Amino acid sequence: MSSLAISGTRESGQDVRTANVTACVAVANILRSSLGPQGLDKMLVDEVGDVTVTNDGATIVGLLEVEHPAARVLTELAQQQDQEVGDGTTSVVILAAELLKRANDLVAARIHPTNIIAGYRLAMREACKYIRDKMATPVEKLGRELLVNAARTSLSSKILGSAESTHFANVAVDAVLSVKTGGGKDGVPASYPIKSVHVLKCQGRSARESELLPGVAINSGRAAKGMPSRVAPARVACLDVDLRRTKMKMGIQVQIDDASALNAAQEKELDITRDRVKAILASGANVILTTKGIDDAALKYFVEAGAIALRRVPLADVKRVAKATGAVVQGSLADLSGAESLDASQLGTAEEAAERRIRDDTVTVLRGCRSTAACSVLLRGPNEYMCDEMGRSFHDAICVVKRTVESGTVVPGGGAVEAALSVYLDNFATMLGSREQLAIAQFADSLLAIPKTLAVNAALDATDLVARLRAAHYVAQTEEGKAGLAHTGLDLSRGVVRNSSRAGVVEPALSKIKSIQFAAEAAITILRIDDSVDVARKDADPEG
Amino acid sequence: MAQANGGSASTAAAAPATGASGRQAGASEKSKDVRLNNITAAKAVADAVRTSLGPRGMDKMMQTASGDVLITNDGATILAKMTVEHPAAKMLVQLSQAQDSVAGDGTTSVVVLAGALLQVCTGLLAKGIHPTSISDAFATASRLADDVLKGMSFSVELEDRETLIKAASTSLNSKVVSQYAGLLAPMAVDAVLAVAVPRPPTSSAAEIGVNGVGSTPGTSIDGDLVVDLNNVRTVKKLGGTIDDTCLVDGLLLTQRAATGGSAGVRRVANAKVALLQFCLSPPKTDVENSVVVQDYAAMDRILREERQYILGLCKKIKASGANVLLIQKSILRDAVTELSLHFLAKLKIMVVTDIERGEVEFVCKSLGCLPVASIDQLKADKLGKVDLVEEISLGSDKAVRLSGVTLPAGVPRTVSLLVRGSNNLMLDEAERSLHDALCVVRSLVHRRFLIPGGGAPETQVSVALAKASKAMSGMQAYCVKAYAEALEVVPFTLSENAGLNPIEIVTELRRRHAAGETTAGINVRKGAVTDMAEENVLMPLLVISSALGLATESVRMILKIDDIVMVR
Repeated sequence: MSSLAISGTRESGQDVRTANVTACVAVANILRSSLGPQGLDKMLVDEVGDVTVTNDGATIVGLLEVEHPAARVLTELAQQQDQEVGDGTTSVVILAAELLKRANDLVAARIHPTNIIAGYRLAMREACKYIRDKMATPVEKLGRELLVNAARTSLSSKILGSAESTHFANVAVDAVLSVKTGGGKDGVPASYPIKSVHVLKCQGRSARESELLPGVAINSGRAAKGMPSRVAPARVACLDVDLRRTKMKMGIQVQIDDASALNAAQEKELDITRDRVKAILASGANVILTTKGIDDAALKYFVEAGAIALRRVPLADVKRVAKATGAVVQGSLADLSGAESLDASQLGTAEEAAERRIRDDTVTVLRGCRSTAACSVLLRGPNEYMCDEMGRSFHDAICVVKRTVESGTVVPGGGAVEAALSVYLDNFATMLGSREQLAIAQFADSLLAIPKTLAVNAALDATDLVARLRAAHYVAQTEEGKAGLAHTGLDLSRGVVRNSSRAGVVEPALSKIKSIQFAAEAAITILRIDDSVDVARKDADPEG
Repeated sequence: MAQANGGSASTAAAAPATGASGRQAGASEKSKDVRLNNITAAKAVADAVRTSLGPRGMDKMMQTASGDVLITNDGATILAKMTVEHPAAKMLVQLSQAQDSVAGDGTTSVVVLAGALLQVCTGLLAKGIHPTSISDAFATASRLADDVLKGMSFSVELEDRETLIKAASTSLNSKVVSQYAGLLAPMAVDAVLAVAVPRPPTSSAAEIGVNGVGSTPGTSIDGDLVVDLNNVRTVKKLGGTIDDTCLVDGLLLTQRAATGGSAGVRRVANAKVALLQFCLSPPKTDVENSVVVQDYAAMDRILREERQYILGLCKKIKASGANVLLIQKSILRDAVTELSLHFLAKLKIMVVTDIERGEVEFVCKSLGCLPVASIDQLKADKLGKVDLVEEISLGSDKAVRLSGVTLPAGVPRTVSLLVRGSNNLMLDEAERSLHDALCVVRSLVHRRFLIPGGGAPETQVSVALAKASKAMSGMQAYCVKAYAEALEVVPFTLSENAGLNPIEIVTELRRRHAAGETTAGINVRKGAVTDMAEENVLMPLLVISSALGLATESVRMILKIDDIVMVR
């Protein structure tokens, strides 16, 4: 250690760089085998013993307890990709690790890190420009089929990949398109709030029987059996009000000297609630959702009125219902005269509210809502892990569809973009007469890590396939009239190269650009570090 | 002192040992040891931050005591987090913080300079020159240097926005967020110029945050405007990228609009804003007391009374004309209840709760309103007028923006900077960098002189001092020459960090300055020596002059220490 007296340890120069790179490569090695349609799954067991089976990069990275600070930077950036794009986490980590590994070799060959950083940055900018200008195809040209293809590409690498992918891709596209808001003539840009798609997971039956429910589903049944199981048309009241026996607040004591008054006081508590229920029913509501409880005594009034009441519905669900039916969530029933009432204008409408049995659970479905601003997807699966993994895969798929419709452009998948960029950047590097040339050439090579890993995971000859892939892209970029070859990607089930776009393997351009940006950013952030100070933990220090 | 009971630091342990044995064995021997010991420790600090100097400087990764990871290349931040133990080394840490409070930028340079000066001191001490002579000669050199710097600076007008932006970009270019300099620099300039106000006639330099270092050359204020950076508020919100960072004219509150159910008001035009310091909730009895109800009919009345009470409050608020309420956070009672939110929503009044007590002053200043502590005091004259109040959505998060504030004349305006970043590391670093850029612009408002960057001023001073030393004699000449040599550490380190050949660059730089090219500096991008004024690498005079002054003073102080006494 140097003469710098600090409480803690300090590493600097090449040592810290090598340590950082090693840590990041270690993280990438964990994820490597899960990339692509033939990628394998991981089983993660946490300290409580909960098991997660997944091949979603973001989930794996999120559950890993990474200690090394540099590796933590990498995982944080990967999760950022997940939040911004929703897909492509695994490729970010693999690409970033490859970039770091090669940069470290360059440093060992006496190239200054600042030159490598400058080179990487230049390569990243060129790569993104190339994708935007040359590779991207506008969505409008291809319509709905393309969206389904994009969703299928995302799903193909997941548990829903095999036979069901078309079914799920269609469900995902329908779900996303139905929650579209804005985009009309009023100038508000169209947006597709993913949050409005409600995913219900129910164990039992096969994955194939998953479906898009028309309308909004709530994961709970009516509060009492006496209520009708179906009302039509439904007038929905969304409440955030307690409908239990009214209790006095803290600090108020009810003191009763007379035994007969006891009964009267209890009656009174019920009466106050009864008046509330009456006020709600007076508005004409026949479907009542509340986030809080409803007393058995109060249920009686709903039963008498022939209304469906649901208690203890999660607030998020109530809000979703309010959005779809046009109701206003009520925090209180008080009106401006100080009394309690509910105005009919605060209610929402739907064609029908009906209870459905799914396995042992009951769900309440509101059909024919005023708007399609919210929808529900029911996922079925044989066990809990399967359901959870399906939920994650489905989430990725709807993110991909959302990105595709929002960004409006797609690029071919199956390693096509990486191979094309690699060929392009290799040529670009030779045009530069500075030290950055070496870094850009390494960037180009690093990109090939993606098609290579894809091939290796599919138990194919990676060297042979990647060489053929590169050759095709070289021809596409150099020879006139062969531009069609630029869509060449890997067909991992047959072990050949083919036109990815024609085979329906496409990804949103935004996702590809972001993943290259994030990977380069992560690599640069870690490369810039040349000193690591680990300040001693306060509690670990015996002398304080 | 901290390390007195710990054997953790070898350097610290050595000091008391020599103290005990050196009692008889000649005081000069001991004091030399102490001095060298101090210098070594302080130099180690300077070496630690050296690699982060300049536009191509590297970053430091720190794992703090709480386990958080921090990546930065801001000198002051690195040193503050490093928990240095040696007392002399601590002086250098404080030195960088002093520079931070005076100029806000150049916190790495000041430490590197001090380290280089200490380095030459070891040579001078070894030659047997008395520390006091060195110290005095350094003081002379520092004075001369200040004159040289003033001579090569040129004045700038505040109307010249382009030049101000250039200065801010120079500061930002050496940060992690350098690729966003083009976006952040104009923002920093606009923010500072927006809050600049004419100096109150009685104000002196000491009142504007430069107290304690008023004697340092270059901190006096010669403009007629003053800037209080407290009026610039940086709000950090995770999500998005740094590209989404923006300047909000008016006020940005990180809270979201409070809504009762889903009926709350989220947008109010022509708003009248009231800042309430009382609660809109039913009054609570003290813990020991309770209300005793003996009649069941009274139960109903209690509920009714509560509604009436809250309704009364809400109606009074409506009557005062307020349509946006900012409510201070309350610990003892709920600031708002669902019932009051419900009423306010019905009355079309927008509510933002959880305003921190510490924020109240800033909010009042920004909106021109007065805090109201009781409903009876809520009058129209206490309200602030704002063109538009709306809840804006920032990715998954929300915030409330108040724009178009009408303020009485003469009151300083405030602005908010909304910093976005994809992760906490970037976000924090962006905030630190932005702070430096703001400080740079502030120092330009206070002292309207610019000086070229890229190692030009250091080289110029070095060349000038080397020349001046030839006209001196004795110890002074020797020490001033050494001082001149030490200053070359900045261009040396700059070129070293940029992956260039430092010897080649520094000698070339020296040659051009000797030939009279005062603005020649290191062009990191081209890897050559070019004219900094043409490259638009400019920084405020204040940054470099205070860095030199502060570094020299610290070095003189360390030199004069000849004993360390441990006091339990």
